[in-house]
Amino acid sequence: MRPRFKALLLACAALAGGMSLAHAQEGYGKFDGYTLKVKLIGGTQYEKLYTRIPEWEKLTGAKVDIVSSKNHFDLDREIKQDIASGSISWCVGSNHTSFAPQYGDLYVDLKPLIPAETLADYVPATLKASEVDGRLVQLPRVTDVSNLYYNKDVYENPDIKAKYKAKFGTDLAPPKTYDEYKQQVIFLANPPNLYGTAFPGKDEGMTGRFMELVRANGGDMFDDKWNPTFNSPAGVAALQWFVDIYKAGAVPAGTVNYTWDDIGQAMAAGTLAIDLDWPGFAAFFNDQASSKIAGKVGFALAPVGSSGKRGGWSGSHSFSVTQACDNKKAAVSFITFMTNYDSEMMEARAGNLPTRTKVFADVEKEFRDKGNTYMAEMFGTWEKSLETARTPPLIPQWIEVSNVLWPQLQAAIVGQKTPKEALDKAASDAHDIMEDAGLLK
Amino acid sequence: MLRSPRAIPYLLLLPSIVVIAAVVLVPVLVSLWSSFTPYNLTRPATLFTFVGWRNYQRLFANADFWWAFGRTLVFVTVALNLELVFGLALALLVNRVTTGRKTIRTIMMFPMMFSPILVGFQFKYVFNDSVGILNNALFSLGLITRPIPWLVNGALANFSILAAEIWMSTSIFAILLLSGLLALPQDPIEAAKVDGCNPVQVFRHITLPFLMPFIYIAMTIRSLDVARAYDMVRIMTNGGPAGRTELLWTLIARVGYQNSQMGMANAMGYVSILTSIAFTFYFYRKLSLSRRYMGGAE
Repeated sequence: MRPRFKALLLACAALAGGMSLAHAQEGYGKFDGYTLKVKLIGGTQYEKLYTRIPEWEKLTGAKVDIVSSKNHFDLDREIKQDIASGSISWCVGSNHTSFAPQYGDLYVDLKPLIPAETLADYVPATLKASEVDGRLVQLPRVTDVSNLYYNKDVYENPDIKAKYKAKFGTDLAPPKTYDEYKQQVIFLANPPNLYGTAFPGKDEGMTGRFMELVRANGGDMFDDKWNPTFNSPAGVAALQWFVDIYKAGAVPAGTVNYTWDDIGQAMAAGTLAIDLDWPGFAAFFNDQASSKIAGKVGFALAPVGSSGKRGGWSGSHSFSVTQACDNKKAAVSFITFMTNYDSEMMEARAGNLPTRTKVFADVEKEFRDKGNTYMAEMFGTWEKSLETARTPPLIPQWIEVSNVLWPQLQAAIVGQKTPKEALDKAASDAHDIMEDAGLLK
Repeated sequence: MLRSPRAIPYLLLLPSIVVIAAVVLVPVLVSLWSSFTPYNLTRPATLFTFVGWRNYQRLFANADFWWAFGRTLVFVTVALNLELVFGLALALLVNRVTTGRKTIRTIMMFPMMFSPILVGFQFKYVFNDSVGILNNALFSLGLITRPIPWLVNGALANFSILAAEIWMSTSIFAILLLSGLLALPQDPIEAAKVDGCNPVQVFRHITLPFLMPFIYIAMTIRSLDVARAYDMVRIMTNGGPAGRTELLWTLIARVGYQNSQMGMANAMGYVSILTSIAFTFYFYRKLSLSRRYMGGAE
């Protein structure tokens, strides 16, 4: 009786939702009467997906108990407290590629628990970046990588274009290199009404933006023996780029205190000419209710550095299953469902980058069919940049290293130290961290 | 033995002792122990590795910690004194009001009702250099031509955080001092007036000495509060830029939770707790001195 019921349910769901064949093959199992405890990231942009939870409950007969829903930094703190107190009484947790290496063996390796044909539907590079020490500790739900948003009111203004051409001899178009980027943001800045751009000046945001430029310049954060190398000439040139645009007043002075939201708000308020930012802002920037630049936003690929490469910093929000979980099958079923084709389409329609290969093409087509060329174009641009994007080093010490680096980056940007002095100090502190962790080879 | 009359007081106190031990003593002892270990939150086994004074030795050689320590001391001192001055002025003014005093007292308490995190967001917006209302107002009045980087410049950023702290907490001083003023006996004041004292002399020799115990109680409570300042600073600057506004608790929270180095964070916590104890001890001594003075012993 039960298998027949399950088949009926699956068939109904397939008919109703137009499920793909691959999706239909993903059986979600039956867990009648079981309550799955989960700790999920909270916030408007993440919670829309949770409206699918009742569907999974209906399919499997299980109940989901959200025992915690917080922003990721608070959730990270709570999970660390759980590890410290040995009270892992929950099964599924929201995770992120930057945070995952810190949690040791808290989460299971999903490879033996999820069929290879299901895993084959995910973007290979995204799935690879979800591994820690060869273990797939998380199933990615959305990916992030940054590209350029530019204000067409500025970039297509005939007067500004003429002045730019007269000064530099080239047409004003979204920058292809970081040198061009610097030249343009300094030229376009007209404070306090318009700044060239803004960057996140603290926390991992600052470290990440610096890392992108170091990599674009041909450098990297560590060598293969885990010695910090971000104080190399490529690193110094990267930091000098931030110092130059800050000194020239091309960014708001307060950018050293900005986080993603501050930059997004400034761009939406029309006070930035160009913004290197995440895909989640695309819909926000084009929404007339929240943005002054709605209908005037253009996209361009992130610029390349002196090495001719793009240094794209990628990361994924994800779901993980704890080792201590008393019903790992139910937990794996849940996270597979929450990242299945339909879930990923839902994420993509909201403007997030999906983690399943097929969804990229399908959502782009869907937007184009509906006449929303803006969002279709966004997915096209962002998918291209994913090819070369890389995560930060997947080591537990990454956030700790970031925490000794960004205050030094700030010190150089506000003119307290030279870039070389600041980076040497940070590299020395990072070296101690890696040495203490026993990672230096 | 349990039935012995001598055991009864201890038996009656036992529930309280158990509760206090569970919620105060045990955490204090565990955190003290962890300050002598390389305890990392994500590697619980490290709680059992004893490293002696290593964390403290590293701490004493850590310039960033001492800058944050010194900055916290200055922050507490300046904030307390300014809050006292403003709070006292406010209390004296409200004390003169004859009608609507209760309403004014309630309005005065409004800032205390906000969570420090909300106050942090509010002042971050006020002091934002590009969209903040302060810079916008200064532009509109024609007083500035370039935005002032309130939360970037070292002096201005610390001033901005102080302004937020003072806005939120001055009313605590005002309310405590107002309660002192309301309890002030009128006889000595009238006697002084009859003897020809002017208002300044009355304030200096009668009102202020009477208020001193209230001032020291307020100082003690607030010194502990301000020394723990975290939420607002976390939101407004997170200790930056370049550590210019780093206070002890933003540093400790980063080390303990983001870097997971709870052993080191607890060592930092113990050094700062000793400072808080010193403040409390100082204010209590002053409090008992002023009470003796009030009692006519000196």
